[in-house]
Amino acid sequence: MYKTITVKAGSNGWGGPLILTPTEICNKVLSVTGGGIHPLAQKIADMTGAEAVDGFKTNLPDEEVLVAVVDCGGTARCGVYPKKGIYTINIEPVGKAGPLAKYITPEIYVSAVTEKDVYESDYTGAAAGEPASKTEAEISRPKQTLKENTAKVSEEKKENIITKIGKAVGHFVNIFFQAGRDTIEIVLGTILPFMAFTATLLGIISASGLGNVIAKTISPICSTLPGMVVIAFICGIPILSPVLGPGAVIAQVVGTLLGAEFALGHIPPQYALPALFAIDAQVGCDFVPVGLSLGEADPETIEYGVPAVLFERMITGPLAVLIAFAFSIGMY
Amino acid sequence: MEMISKVANGFIGLFQAGGETFMGWVTGIIPMVICLMVFVNSIIGIIGTERVERFCQKITKYTILRYTLLPVLADIFLTNPARYTFGRFVKEEHKAAFYDASVSFCHPITGLFPHANAGELFVYTGIATGIQKLGLSVGGLAVRYFIVGVIVILIRGILCEKIFAALSK
Repeated sequence: MYKTITVKAGSNGWGGPLILTPTEICNKVLSVTGGGIHPLAQKIADMTGAEAVDGFKTNLPDEEVLVAVVDCGGTARCGVYPKKGIYTINIEPVGKAGPLAKYITPEIYVSAVTEKDVYESDYTGAAAGEPASKTEAEISRPKQTLKENTAKVSEEKKENIITKIGKAVGHFVNIFFQAGRDTIEIVLGTILPFMAFTATLLGIISASGLGNVIAKTISPICSTLPGMVVIAFICGIPILSPVLGPGAVIAQVVGTLLGAEFALGHIPPQYALPALFAIDAQVGCDFVPVGLSLGEADPETIEYGVPAVLFERMITGPLAVLIAFAFSIGMY
Repeated sequence: MEMISKVANGFIGLFQAGGETFMGWVTGIIPMVICLMVFVNSIIGIIGTERVERFCQKITKYTILRYTLLPVLADIFLTNPARYTFGRFVKEEHKAAFYDASVSFCHPITGLFPHANAGELFVYTGIATGIQKLGLSVGGLAVRYFIVGVIVILIRGILCEKIFAALSK
């Protein structure tokens, strides 16, 4: 009598998908969302055949809890249930956060879930399976009960208007808070390490006198239009471009080195825009098959797509420099 | 002894220069980037990627929009590397061209929207910092980088589509 469902992360969500099957013992959906049973918890209960329980009124033994539905902005609750080993669904868009972050894993936790993100089993990726809104139970439910339900719901609405406003404000704040958390994470995890590595490199180059060598050899090439077209052409050669591409590390290091030359006045500033395109003709050439498979392309498309992109870059790389040069007129 | 201390000084000097550069970046670039990224990430959170997806599905049939607006929106809202998943909205024969347009915009976008590809900021920031040191404003550079980027990805998309069609015949 129990059914298996799949819950995936909603828009801006994290973690999952979770596959939930109730058993004779483990068959309660615990709603810990500021009192009352959240519609999402009710939906999950209806679909699986489990029972929805208000976590603010009832206390359950952990082994009876199939899944906990929480609305946590990333402080405590979102980690409490994963720590206990209980599947957790957060209706707020919160990832691995809070003091218990280490217990939050995609195997046990999913966030930003709405009623649309719950599917009957047989989940196969994007949006296969019927959305929850089309379950048989709902369609066949007698009209009268529906009316009664609606009446009940509207009554609750009147009572909880302050709670509702509070939740809306909380949701808004959570979005900003999560945005801040995501930003700091990428600054610490990616931007700062890259700065550290390039700054060290740049320091060695400038203090050791190597910088003067670069200034004398590369700068003259970069301060003429034909020189830059040649650089773009070289970067776009199909054998070289996939090697130069990964992580844009080479383009970034060269960009920083050129920046230093611009600062010293070795290259005139009006060459900044064409330079940006000259050093970047190979962008993404290392990533074509991966990028295409992310776009759900057929193997045959990938087979012809890779050479199509690589060859086209030989033409558009230098062309981009020329367009950029034309657009630099009047700047600086 | 004097020799040793000279070598030591020279050695430390290499990293003092690096440290100064690092400090300049941390105080000069990071605070603005953080605030801008928080703001844009919040806006994306409020709008929701689902709405953008629905809109993007509608515009794929127009060649010009497919290689301009579609990759720009994908880059802004899904960021690197999730943006390539918008490839599923376009026809099989346009996928390579869409990928090329999308990936070619991942650096021109960073001048105005650093959040879209925060891991690869220095293609633009590296050069822009140099320009800034000359006492020039980089606002115009960022805007022009964006505009030229859009033109270039349109050309790349159309050309790639043609080459793909010729190859797969």
